Amino acid sequence: MSDPTQPVRKEESAGLMKYSAENLVPFGPIHPALKEPEYFKLVLEGERIVEVIPRIGYVHRGLEKAAEMRPWVQNMYMFERTCGICSFVHSLTYGQAVEGLTIYETPRRAKFIRTIIAEMERIHSHLLWVGLMGHWAGFETLFMWVWRDREIVLDLVEAISGNRVHKSMNAFCGVRRDMPEGMEDRIVERMKFLVERANYYKEIVDTEETMLERTEGIGKISADLAEKLCAVGPMARYVGLRNDIRLTDPYAAYDEVPFDIVTRKEGDVHALLKLRLDELIVAANIVSYAVQHLPEGPIRVKIPPVIPAGENSSHSEAPRGEIFYYVKSSGGRTPDRVKSRQPTMANLPTALELLKGQTIADVPVVLTAIDPCFGCMDRMSFLDLDSHNQWSWSGEQLRQYGISHYFPERMKR
Amino acid sequence: MSEVFLDHVEKYATENKATITHPRKGQTMVEVNQNKLKGFISRLINEESLRQLSTITGLDLGQNIGIIYHFSHGRDTLHVKTLIPKTQPTAVSIVDIIPGAILYEMEIHDMLGVTFSGNPWMDKKLLLPDTWPADLPPPLLKTSKPAEIRRRLGLEVEKK
Repeated sequence: MSDPTQPVRKEESAGLMKYSAENLVPFGPIHPALKEPEYFKLVLEGERIVEVIPRIGYVHRGLEKAAEMRPWVQNMYMFERTCGICSFVHSLTYGQAVEGLTIYETPRRAKFIRTIIAEMERIHSHLLWVGLMGHWAGFETLFMWVWRDREIVLDLVEAISGNRVHKSMNAFCGVRRDMPEGMEDRIVERMKFLVERANYYKEIVDTEETMLERTEGIGKISADLAEKLCAVGPMARYVGLRNDIRLTDPYAAYDEVPFDIVTRKEGDVHALLKLRLDELIVAANIVSYAVQHLPEGPIRVKIPPVIPAGENSSHSEAPRGEIFYYVKSSGGRTPDRVKSRQPTMANLPTALELLKGQTIADVPVVLTAIDPCFGCMDRMSFLDLDSHNQWSWSGEQLRQYGISHYFPERMKR
Repeated sequence: MSEVFLDHVEKYATENKATITHPRKGQTMVEVNQNKLKGFISRLINEESLRQLSTITGLDLGQNIGIIYHFSHGRDTLHVKTLIPKTQPTAVSIVDIIPGAILYEMEIHDMLGVTFSGNPWMDKKLLLPDTWPADLPPPLLKTSKPAEIRRRLGLEVEKK
C-alpha cells in the first residue's frame, strides 16, 4: 500500500488509463437548459490541453431516417426544427434542394422575403453570440445590453412571420406569408439603430480591458490549417479566407443586393468578435436595402406533392457557416434520402485544433468562439491521475475560475 | 474559371475511367471506382485547388452502399460518388489528404456500418449511443426499422 499523503509516482499510475502521465478531463455532455450537448475528452499536461477527443450525438434524433418516412412538405417543417437559432435557413436550404428537382421557379418577391428573414436571423444569432461571449469572459454588462438589443430584431421577425424562432415561413417555390403592409419604415429605422449599437459594441470590445485580456491572442489557427480542416463561415473568414456562400454561390436574392463580406487577418477570438459585429452591420444593411427594393408580384407557386426522380444538393450561408443539404428522390411522395450537414459539425475539427495548447481557463471562451450550440458546462469533472484526486465543477465555477485566472484582484473584492 | 475547372475534372475523370454527368446547372456528378478514388481527389486538390469538402453522404442502394463526397468550388458543386458492396463494407479513408473529413467518415461508420481503412478514430462512436447492441444493423440501412431500434434500445413507450 502506498502512502496516501505522498503523490503517486507516474510509473505506478501507468496502466490505470491510457493517458497515465497527463490529466484527463471529461467535458460534458449534458445540460437540459442548453442547446446542444457535446462531450469532449480533454487530455492535459499541467494546465495545457494536448489532445481533444469529441463525442457528439447526445441529442441525435434520427431526422435523416425520419425524413425517409414523411412527405416532402412535412420534412421542410421538420428540418426547420433542427436548430432553435438558425431555423429558417434549414428549411430554406432543404427547400432549394427540392425545388431544383422540379421545373418550377421561385417568384422574385419570395426570394427577397427569404433574404430579409435569413439576414434578420443572422443578426439575432450574432447578437446572441456576442452576449454569450461577454458572459463567459466575465463582462456581464455586455451580455445584458446585447440581449436587450436582440429583442428588437426578434420583435420584427415576429411581426413578419408570427413567430420569434420557428418561423415556418418557407414553402416549396415561395414563402407562406407576405410582408405586412407599412413595415418598411419601421424596419429601416430599427436597422439603423442596430447599426449604431453594433458600432458602439465594436468600440467597447476594442477598449474594455476584460474583453481584450480574455480574447486577444486566444484561439489562434493558421489560414492554411483552417482551410485543410474545411472550416466554414466566420471560422474561415477570421483567418482571411473569403469563404461565404452568399458571395461565392448566390442563392435567394443575394445576387441582386449589393454587399461585401467581411474578413479579418488576426485569427484570434478578438478578431471573431469584431468580425461578427461587422457582419451584423452588413446584414442590417442588406435587410434595409431589401425592404426598400422589395419587388411586386406573387409570393408562391404551388407545386404538386410528388417530386420527380433525381438527386440534387443545395447550400447556403447560415450565421455559423455553410449548411448543406443533399436530397435524392425516386419519384414518390417521400424522399429516398435526405442528408443534412450543419456548420457546427464542419467547424468541430477546427475547434479541436483551437483547444490544443490552451489552458482550462480558456476552454469556455474558445469553445464559445466557434459559436457551437454549447451544452455541457455544468457537468465537468476533473481527475488528477498523479494524486488520484477527483473533483467536479459546475459551469459557474468554471467561469469564475476562468475570470480569477486572468483577473485575480477581482476575486478578492 | 468555372469552365476551365469543369474541363479539367472531365479530363481526370476520363483518365480514371469514371463516368461524368451534369444533372443540372452547377451540379457535376462523377462516379469513380473505389480504388481510383483517392488518386482522383488528391489530383483535384493538388492541381485545381479544390479545398472545401462540404460533407460526405452515405446511401443505401440495395446491393451496394454509395458514398458521395460533396465539394464546393465557387458556383459549382462537385459530387464524387463511389460504390462499395454491402457484403464487404470497407472503404478507403481520405483523412490523410483532407483532415476535415474525419468526423464525416465516423458518421457514415455509425449510420451505415462502413469501415474506412486509414481513419484513426474508427474504433470510436460519434453519434450512436454507447448502448447500441453490436448485432443490431446500422440505423440508416433501408432494412432497419425504427420500431425495432426503439425496442432493442429499450425506448419503447408502453401503450395504455
